[in-house]
Amino acid sequence: MTGPVALKAAYVVTWAIQFGYLGYLLSRYRKVREEMKDLKRSS
Amino acid sequence: MKAVIWIFILITVALLGYGLYQALVVAPTEQTMGEVQRIFYYHVPSAWVAFTLFFVNFIASIVYLWKRSAGSDAIAVASAEVGVVFCTVVLITGPIWARPVWGIWWTWDARLTTTLVLWLIYVSYLVLRRFAAGSQTQVLSAALAIFGFVDVPIVFMAIRWFRTQHPSPVIGGGEGSGLDPTMWHAVLWNWLAFSCLALLLVVVRYRLQLMEENVEAAHAQLALQGGAR
Repeated sequence: MTGPVALKAAYVVTWAIQFGYLGYLLSRYRKVREEMKDLKRSS
Repeated sequence: MKAVIWIFILITVALLGYGLYQALVVAPTEQTMGEVQRIFYYHVPSAWVAFTLFFVNFIASIVYLWKRSAGSDAIAVASAEVGVVFCTVVLITGPIWARPVWGIWWTWDARLTTTLVLWLIYVSYLVLRRFAAGSQTQVLSAALAIFGFVDVPIVFMAIRWFRTQHPSPVIGGGEGSGLDPTMWHAVLWNWLAFSCLALLLVVVRYRLQLMEENVEAAHAQLALQGGAR
């Protein structure tokens, strides 16, 4: 692995981890909100 | 409140962009390693942010054991999870940097090994939170978090106490160490950007934790009502 390739790989991996995690949190957030709405309807 | 969050998101995105510009354009190319040294501007701030989040987890765990408040427990979980995300960045960018510079991906030196152990401690904390059942889960995980934090100062001091493959401290390493001021700016801007991103992630994760606990309590109540009928 050459220097410039390693540099690009490191930056891309960092963004993928950070924004992948943010996306995962937002999808969980949406799911819980839906569940809360369902609970309100059923109670 | 929503407007404040959106402004904060915009500031974070702008800081991430400016940090990237500082790291790739403004900071000078290091003489020995060349372009690959720019990984430093993501690797080091990620480590600082992870350590800070593990410290927050440590304090929140102490507060939980003392006051047994749901808020401090939610802060502990949120900071541990986001801390693991940043520690993962450190553990992946490190070997990517090491390969062209050292000729190897990994070596079992004190700094690398203690960092891997740190990551494993907080992953086990999250596994415990996720899969353990019963009323003592929060107490046990808080105790694990307090003892687990002992590894953070060990990771920090590893390159000072032992001879390691990992370079000696460049920042705060005493005489002969130090950074070019332009390199300093790139480190600090990225540290600020990652800190804002981490804060944002912790807030979202904290709210999610409280919401999930409310949903779980509502399900339990519904089950009880169903059983009573």
